[in-house]
Amino acid sequence: MTYDLVIIGTGAAGLSAAIYAERYKLNTLLIGEEFGGETATAGAIENWPGNKIIDGYELMAAMKEQALAAGAEIREGRVIRVKKKDACFDVFTEKESVHAKAVILAIGAQRRHLNLPNEKELTGKGVHYCVTCDGPVYAKKTVAMVGGGDSSVKGVNFLAEYAEKIYLITREKEPHAEPVNMERMKAHGEKVEILAETQVKEIVGEKKLESLVLSRSYRGEERLAVDGLFVEIGFDPDKTFADQLGLELDERGYLKADNMMRTNVPGVFPAGDAVNHFEGFKQDITAAALGAVAATSAYDYVRKNGSRCEFHASA
Amino acid sequence: MRSESITDTNKFIDSMAKVTIYTTPTCVYCRAAKEFFKENNVAYEEKNVAEDEQAREDMIVKSEQMGVPVIDVDGTIVIGFDRQKLSELLSLGS
Repeated sequence: MTYDLVIIGTGAAGLSAAIYAERYKLNTLLIGEEFGGETATAGAIENWPGNKIIDGYELMAAMKEQALAAGAEIREGRVIRVKKKDACFDVFTEKESVHAKAVILAIGAQRRHLNLPNEKELTGKGVHYCVTCDGPVYAKKTVAMVGGGDSSVKGVNFLAEYAEKIYLITREKEPHAEPVNMERMKAHGEKVEILAETQVKEIVGEKKLESLVLSRSYRGEERLAVDGLFVEIGFDPDKTFADQLGLELDERGYLKADNMMRTNVPGVFPAGDAVNHFEGFKQDITAAALGAVAATSAYDYVRKNGSRCEFHASA
Repeated sequence: MRSESITDTNKFIDSMAKVTIYTTPTCVYCRAAKEFFKENNVAYEEKNVAEDEQAREDMIVKSEQMGVPVIDVDGTIVIGFDRQKLSELLSLGS
């Protein structure tokens, strides 16, 4: 069987693309490794139009329900390879392979790590990357958040519900976040301290995290004792499928696409955080918008070229 | 914030294994694991380590780490929601 469209990724972009693709009557399969993508771990979302506040997981569950109701097929799995064969695509997971006339890459991006010695060894043992998952484990403890963007400030506000003391370590002069999130952080008073123009130089601990060595001393000490460290320093694009398909990348390594999400490889359309449109402004609403655009272009492509794939598939 | 009960022992009795899941209220992988158990009629006991300090200590001792979920299947500790490993431990055959 050949699908009209295979969408890789079950986050906001992939699910939005599936909803649109089904409205275009494309026979669509959605494959994803982690349901909900980054949105599912985002915690409370207050800027999704139509909802004053909605939990990220709930939002993704609602999108999934909508995609299923529209007729999309969703499978859990990790796609390891995409191969273009004439006018068709072979999409391989660890367990199976499927044929498609067009592919949408809603693959998101990879969380950036500090790349410090000991970081990997202490991951889960004091070093964490999902604040909504592991933040509450640090109830009444002292924690640090590394980062200077909106996610880190939002993360600090989340941690403030649980932790006794939070240090926000940023290499910038001050964090840059949505004003509403900055105001909330300031309202926590002395519970939150900002260590500006500071970087983590070392992660110290044997069986678990014990302290951080800072690039700039804090209260006369280079070493800061903490129970937990949360890292929110952004994302890097995943180039796996770009290499496999010969897709062009932009100057920052993201998948290069025009305004309609067309790439240099006909039939391949990226969406969501895998694309660096909107000057790096990455939101659920922008991811969903790019998913809708990618589905529209995939529909146009399949309508004009789909029969070529059917010919090859049956030959 | 999502609110869930601190402990939630469901009523399914098909699984003979004693399953304990250590969670936080906002952890999506914990939620995915619980949905997996429900889909497969696996009875489990949930312990919210954000509020239950003893459960938190137990989890850290058992798993030697602080990430959730931690799932105890008859004494075998699974860190994170590892669908394949859980299927093997619970003989679910998927």
